[in-house]
Amino acid sequence: MIATVVGSYPKIPNRPRPARLRNAIARFDRGDLTLDDLKAIEDEVTIEVLQEQAEAGLDLVTDGQIRWEDEQNYIARSLSGVSINGLIRWFDTNTYYRQPVIEGAVAWREPITVRDYQFAAEHSAKTVKAVLTGPYTLARLSVDEHYKSTEKLAMAFAEALNQEAKALQQAGATFIQFNEPAAVQHKEDFPDFRHVSDRLLDGVTAETAVYFYFGDVDGIYPQVLDLPFDLIGLDFVMGAANEALLHRTPFTKKLGLGIMDARNTRLESADQLVERIRTLGKGIAPDHLHVSPSAGLEFLPREVAQAKLKRLADAVRQAEGVLV
Amino acid sequence: MTKGLITTTVGSFPKPEYLQKARNQFSAGKLDASELDELEKQATREVIALQEEVGLDILVDGEMARGDMVVYFAEHLQGMEIGGLVRSYGNRYYHKPVVKSEIRWQKPITLDLYKYAQSLTDKPVKGMLTGPYTMVEWSFLEGYDDMRTAVLEMAKAVHMEAVELDRAGAQFIQIDEPALSTRLGDLELALEAMAIVTDGIKAKTGTHMCYGDFPSVYPRFLDMAVTQFDMEMANSGYELAQLFKEQGFPKDKEIAWGVLDVHSHVIETQDQVVAGIKRGLEILPPERLFIDPDCGLKTRTWDESADKLRVMMAGVRQVRKELGIE
Repeated sequence: MIATVVGSYPKIPNRPRPARLRNAIARFDRGDLTLDDLKAIEDEVTIEVLQEQAEAGLDLVTDGQIRWEDEQNYIARSLSGVSINGLIRWFDTNTYYRQPVIEGAVAWREPITVRDYQFAAEHSAKTVKAVLTGPYTLARLSVDEHYKSTEKLAMAFAEALNQEAKALQQAGATFIQFNEPAAVQHKEDFPDFRHVSDRLLDGVTAETAVYFYFGDVDGIYPQVLDLPFDLIGLDFVMGAANEALLHRTPFTKKLGLGIMDARNTRLESADQLVERIRTLGKGIAPDHLHVSPSAGLEFLPREVAQAKLKRLADAVRQAEGVLV
Repeated sequence: MTKGLITTTVGSFPKPEYLQKARNQFSAGKLDASELDELEKQATREVIALQEEVGLDILVDGEMARGDMVVYFAEHLQGMEIGGLVRSYGNRYYHKPVVKSEIRWQKPITLDLYKYAQSLTDKPVKGMLTGPYTMVEWSFLEGYDDMRTAVLEMAKAVHMEAVELDRAGAQFIQIDEPALSTRLGDLELALEAMAIVTDGIKAKTGTHMCYGDFPSVYPRFLDMAVTQFDMEMANSGYELAQLFKEQGFPKDKEIAWGVLDVHSHVIETQDQVVAGIKRGLEILPPERLFIDPDCGLKTRTWDESADKLRVMMAGVRQVRKELGIE
């Protein structure tokens, strides 16, 4: 059984620990810090975040997306054809992202996250997974002034991300994950989502995952099991309906069990979590289970995120003892 | 006051630089509360003066004491704590509140600054509150097992504050629910909570909501226990106008019609504002159609805000003249 995360990790700790990244970005914005110095601090914070995840006891970690200003633009702004607009609310959270505007043909130019992945892999005691925002979510959360079609735009993003995924696997990434929260908000687009996913993974040989969060897959289950990904991550906190679906039709892929609330500070007990793993993972081989928070951890204060991950890893170890 | 197209704003104004600086110094312990208080009053005077100069009809205090619309109330309510830092966007972080235990209103929160602002002008100043659904949804929830109980308890607390403003003579109280627009599945809970907040309040009440899929909950959302719905119209290309035009709008309710896109630096033209107002007049008579920006102005600069409001007023005056209701 694998204890893991969905993607992001809080960028700064609370007092008395210093908010180094926040301060560095502020100084960079004022012109008091060079880009190289800022990047050095991003690297140091990434190392801290990798260590915190390892200390918590996770098996599979991420770079925490420390360099990402949000889940759309870090990817979108490095592609051709994209400019950046004003702030808009990110799903039903009280966090905001700058909306990408598609002004021309979307195309991949050069590796976007490869150096980040390599740096994390070199500095991590645990296996690092590469995490990207998926093509459908990138398309849905952009203003499309060029393709005038979510499907066409998503397909263009899929082609670009396919090149990014191949570059990642060439750099040694063995597990590549795509986060697609928008897909469960627009289930009517599922046929398009499937085509887009096929294009996305064309020729990708690394293990792949797709994570759906902030909702359930009711209405597109069991069809999601036909998607070309090796693992599908589900949110059992905001997507409470997922539980009944799993009871109705057995899950035939590796399953991402998003069971710890990534959006609330209330700390789950280990017993509660073990019980969730036992109930939801029933009938699935333990090595096919990736247990995680329900979404990325950036909605939580850093110390809470750390405490939650430690509790999660403890629960996974306990559950292994029970299930084996 | 004019006979129609009454003008107002949604609530927040940008904070002058000296106040931003003072707030930072205060949180670092380098400035005491009375010094900060003095600067908040200075900024409030400037906000009132700007609104009078521009010629708005219903004024606001500009929320110079509020860093965040939820945190400000959380700081003053029993049962709430200020939690750790969470990123809002870019390099902006805030201390997200936590509902820790039973929510209780203890003493007036907004009353002093409301009274101060009202003392500076003969025009009515709006009382500005954050609604119970948004207060809970934009906080962490630890002290209650279910959200419903927390929201209804919060509604009682917000009601107490509304009563204070009502007693102090506020003619208009706005209770904002921006969290609702992306979580319309919780509409029934928000309706129930708002009914508690406005129960027995004599002042006219209104609510501001952000852009959302309102057609999916039409007309139920109009049952909210307020007289006025303040809608973001300009930013969505007046998308809701079609809905109201085709499906109608209740005769006993009003709309505050957003004609300025607060998310954009670009200053609207007078023609754009006039066109926006005329879309509203297709739905409501001028006496029930209020004109305002889409949302709070705090993300714009002071100059952008002033320029946008001047254009809005010019557009309003032009339409009033055409309608003969100057």
